[in-house]
Amino acid sequence: MSGLPHQPRQPHQPRLTRLPRLPRSRRVRSLGIACFLSALAAVITGPSGDADHPLAGITGSFAWPRVIIFVVAALGLWAALLSGGHLASPVRALSARARAAMMPSTSMPPTPGGDGAGPPAPAGPLRRIAAPVTGRHGARLGHLALLAVALAVPPVLSTAAQQALVGEIGVYALLALGLNVVVGYAGLLDLGYIAFFAIGAYTTAYVTSAEAMPWHAPWQINPFFALPVALVVAAVAGVVLGGPTLRLRGDYLAIVTLGFGEIVQLLANNADGVTGGPRGVFGLPPLSVDLPGVRYSWGLNPLPYYYLLVVLIVLVMVVFGRWERSRTGRAWTAIRQDEVAAEATGVATIRMKLLAFAVGASVSGFAGVVLATKQFFNPQSFGLQASLLVLTIVIFGGMGSRLGVVFGALVLQGTAFLLRDTVPPADRFIYFGAVVVLMMIFRPSGLLPPRRHRALPRQDVPGTPAIPAAAGAGLVGAAVGATAGAGQDSALAPGAAPGPAPLPAPGASLGSGASLGSGDAPEPGPGAGTGPGVGPGAEPAL
Amino acid sequence: MGSAEQISQLTIDGLMVGALYAVIALGYTLVYGVLQLINFAHSEVFMLGAFGGLFASRALVPDGGATPSGLASAGLVLFGLGVGALAGATAAYALERCAYRPLRRRGAPRLAYLISAIGASLFAFNLAGKEFGRQSVPVPELFTNGTVLTVFGAEISTQSLVIAASALMMLLAVDHLVAGTRLGQSIRAVAQDAECAGLMGVDVQKIIVATFVLGGLLAGAGGFLYAMTFNASYTMGFVPGIKAFTAAVLGGIGNVRGAVIGGLLLGLVESFGGYLFDASYKNVIAFAVLVAVLLVRPSGLLGTRLGRPA
Amino acid sequence: MTATPRTLRPRSTRTSARRPVAAMVAGLAMVGGLLAACGGDSDDGGKKEYLIGFQGPLSGESQQLGINAYNGVLTAVELANQDSSLPFTLRIVASDDQGQPEQGPTAAQKLIDNSDLMAVVGPVFSGATKASEPLYSQAGLLSVSPSATNPTLTDLNFTSFYRVIAPDTVQGAGAAEYLAKAVRAKRVYSLDDRSEYGTGLSGAIERGLERARVPFTHDGINPTKDYTSQATKIMADGADAVYYSGYYPEFALLTKALRGKGYDGVILSGDGSNDDQFIRQAGAANAEGTLITCPCSDANSDPAAAGFVADYKKVNSGLKPGTYSGEAYDATNAIISVLREQGTGASRESVLSAFGKVDLPGVTKRIRFQRNGDVEGSTVYVYQVKDGQRTVLGPVSTLVKP
Repeated sequence: MSGLPHQPRQPHQPRLTRLPRLPRSRRVRSLGIACFLSALAAVITGPSGDADHPLAGITGSFAWPRVIIFVVAALGLWAALLSGGHLASPVRALSARARAAMMPSTSMPPTPGGDGAGPPAPAGPLRRIAAPVTGRHGARLGHLALLAVALAVPPVLSTAAQQALVGEIGVYALLALGLNVVVGYAGLLDLGYIAFFAIGAYTTAYVTSAEAMPWHAPWQINPFFALPVALVVAAVAGVVLGGPTLRLRGDYLAIVTLGFGEIVQLLANNADGVTGGPRGVFGLPPLSVDLPGVRYSWGLNPLPYYYLLVVLIVLVMVVFGRWERSRTGRAWTAIRQDEVAAEATGVATIRMKLLAFAVGASVSGFAGVVLATKQFFNPQSFGLQASLLVLTIVIFGGMGSRLGVVFGALVLQGTAFLLRDTVPPADRFIYFGAVVVLMMIFRPSGLLPPRRHRALPRQDVPGTPAIPAAAGAGLVGAAVGATAGAGQDSALAPGAAPGPAPLPAPGASLGSGASLGSGDAPEPGPGAGTGPGVGPGAEPAL
Repeated sequence: MGSAEQISQLTIDGLMVGALYAVIALGYTLVYGVLQLINFAHSEVFMLGAFGGLFASRALVPDGGATPSGLASAGLVLFGLGVGALAGATAAYALERCAYRPLRRRGAPRLAYLISAIGASLFAFNLAGKEFGRQSVPVPELFTNGTVLTVFGAEISTQSLVIAASALMMLLAVDHLVAGTRLGQSIRAVAQDAECAGLMGVDVQKIIVATFVLGGLLAGAGGFLYAMTFNASYTMGFVPGIKAFTAAVLGGIGNVRGAVIGGLLLGLVESFGGYLFDASYKNVIAFAVLVAVLLVRPSGLLGTRLGRPA
Repeated sequence: MTATPRTLRPRSTRTSARRPVAAMVAGLAMVGGLLAACGGDSDDGGKKEYLIGFQGPLSGESQQLGINAYNGVLTAVELANQDSSLPFTLRIVASDDQGQPEQGPTAAQKLIDNSDLMAVVGPVFSGATKASEPLYSQAGLLSVSPSATNPTLTDLNFTSFYRVIAPDTVQGAGAAEYLAKAVRAKRVYSLDDRSEYGTGLSGAIERGLERARVPFTHDGINPTKDYTSQATKIMADGADAVYYSGYYPEFALLTKALRGKGYDGVILSGDGSNDDQFIRQAGAANAEGTLITCPCSDANSDPAAAGFVADYKKVNSGLKPGTYSGEAYDATNAIISVLREQGTGASRESVLSAFGKVDLPGVTKRIRFQRNGDVEGSTVYVYQVKDGQRTVLGPVSTLVKP
């Protein structure tokens, strides 16, 4: 981990000098990409059409004065793509410095079109905080500073912003932390994750109120005690669902969990005798503390809920941090990278996967308690879109990175909140969808990749460009690196072909836009045979 | 309505919907065959195809105009199917180009494809909602709908016949294409062993594109047929998509004939299940079938892969 | 304040968004800058300005109902602004909740935070109302829904909630009476969409049918696309009338499925299906003869409302009033009437405390409230699709007489 930043810059030098002689095909290709992304941005941000005028939205998007912006954006993007190497280099140096300071890297992928689609980079200030301090100590300080900001800022915000901080950001950050265990740590794609949120919320209703739902516990407990109850119930639900399905392969698991999510929502809606059906759950007692000397009740005011959420989030982050570094965490990593190999080396894969499911589910049970005690909810609140939103946050923030997913929630949901008058809420998911695809292509490790991030294992998907030297080296290298290293960041893969150099920071792909799929896989160097790196232009011949 | 009539009615309805599932399921199966990937965004290809066919037929048959008849009807249906198929193929190509190929070029992990497809799906259907409005839109009446014949008391409408005939045609065509043409041979070769096929001179990239386009053509046309009965809307893809996927798994994913059998069977199970329990549980039934098949017999009913002898 | 706003989504106050920008984690500064740059609304001096909030679905699948209502509010506000005798001008602040409960609190809070805002028209949907009203009650901000018809809403001890539409109990009773006495159904199939609205309405209808001793079958089906087996089930049941409690997209598909199978009984639905979209989506041939009950009169065919229709068309560039437009117009006018009385000294408290005493001839009905916030009395109208057009047959009370 240490000592990385400075040494590898050397091999990139030749690439810079060779830039002006880019092959023509690459220039044309870059122009194509720039135009395409810009046109897409124009359509996304453009006016809406309807069924009687299906083309009105598109023609309106390219109406006269508007179109200039996007032509300029396309040209700018093209220039950025062409000068990729030039731009990338200083950014790399910067993010390397940041990483040296043990702060999470904060470089950003390029935002095509330069419009509202792109969330802002929390880069500058963070880096400034990080710059003077180094080492683990610095990370602590940095985290404390972040926590201080998180505690100090909300009271000065408007109540609407506070509501958003609770309902749209905090709850989703908690959910994302839970899903992060399943997707980020164990590498299992769970598309029905929101079902556990529902289970948490309904459990709370069951144990805390005799009126809110037709079906209720014989005795009512203080909502605070609902936290552990919901945690346990959600975890059990996770195990019950996971038990039969976890033997399935990755993409089947995704579909089955998706089905599970749908079924839970449908049952909640149809079983009116139990859940109250579509009428939802209304009038749960708010959270309250009733100890000798301390009496406090969370009312309608969002701020106390916010602080409760901060406590829960920090708690979950700390616990998961320990977990991540434990034997269990390493087992998850092993499973994520190569399940067969993990099993062969004695990891109890099924048990570990079940554990990940249960842990993830239990966090979402927590979030369910907060939702239930704070406001009215009905089955509509637990739809597929909510599941996908949580997934988007995890992808955007950085799979496997605790701080990343919390930031992901803050930036994505925060941007959505700020732009709520400009972008109709129903259009949000266009942006979210685009974010997911672009992240997977340009920066699969997310906004703040996990510190110990390693490339996801690369699998040989048929049709993968049939292996010219460079790409082949990358593939093998990544595969070997992935299986070899359970800890080192920079494992220079033994299989890497002549010339490949490790990247100093995960996904330092700003500017070049597409230089590498994921963080610290070895990048084939210029000597590897296909010209200047695996940029957008380097189309490997088949 | 006697019970025999009901049974025959439910059978007919189930087969009709099942035929549509089969047409969509082929897209999943073909892509799975060559890439071993679940094309999560296939449902949006289906949706975009439906809109393509719908707008094309609306351009020719304005709202409130007279319902065409005879040859004009047949021509219009074929035209709608054609444009729908083209729209589907375009969408599938764009999907492959934007959401899959960049990942393939980077040798991304399997999970990345799935996530990227989910993102593409979110993007596509919400953008469709923005551009085409979020109301359901009907396909204009292209022919006069009425009962054509009665089978054991079940009434079969013109519309059902049109759907059945179109679906049957498409299924036969695909079966022939995969089994008996050079393209089909290449697809099967890539499905069996991509690397080897590449070495033997098959252009793997091209075959992948061809497979997506083929799946898109079918889904697009299927989307138009679906919209004739159930109207088109930007969210229309998700449920039939999942069901078609279930059908593909049921028949044995990667297996063309399996997809057809799976589709018809799922249609029947749903039709009877929805009648016996509650129509709301139709989706639950489909999911239950999916989970059961995956757990008990993940290779599906026919179990063989595209490219291996059936 | 003079230009006619032509967009449905008004440029609402961005001021509320500016404060969090400054403070939220520094990374958000970029977007914030963008927002701050285009914010800023200046007052053109002179008269005092009051804000009226609107909460409803302005985007999403059910946006049409929200837009209808918003345009009704807009009409009332534009008219008031042209009235030089008023000592104040009005401006609308819209907050989009997509008709979804989970978006409700945030949408409501946005309006509550705006201290110049005197009252809110909305929320439009029942679920969102349930989620938002606790906040309005706590803030003491008056909210008048043009359309939330779920019966329980006025029993939940909300202190600032009023509605100008009769709850579904009224519509259900009217529909049941019509089924029993005018349709003379021998057996009714009562189907709902399992939504909050649908179950409320079907429950009220079934109680009415019980009283009238008409046998019925109850069934529920979540919104779906494929109503074929449901149609088979209905036909096997032998009911000669089907009442669907739900919204028009599903009602259209159900009607299509039933007529496609040759069902020849009477098909009915409630106010959630009272939109021309129903006819379009079901196809004119299938929709022909379908009956729709609604506790709302049709402004377009009501001679007494001709003035409103003309004003509405003028303000909304030629659009005709839709379902809930008239109700929203009345709700807004009720609020304006209170403000007019209080002049420039109005506050949220004074508006809220005076609102219960409003008595005003509206375009949809006389606006006068019961203690719990429900509007007094209401007539249920029956509509029928004839030659592809929705036409009013008349109020239930007159239709059942002969």
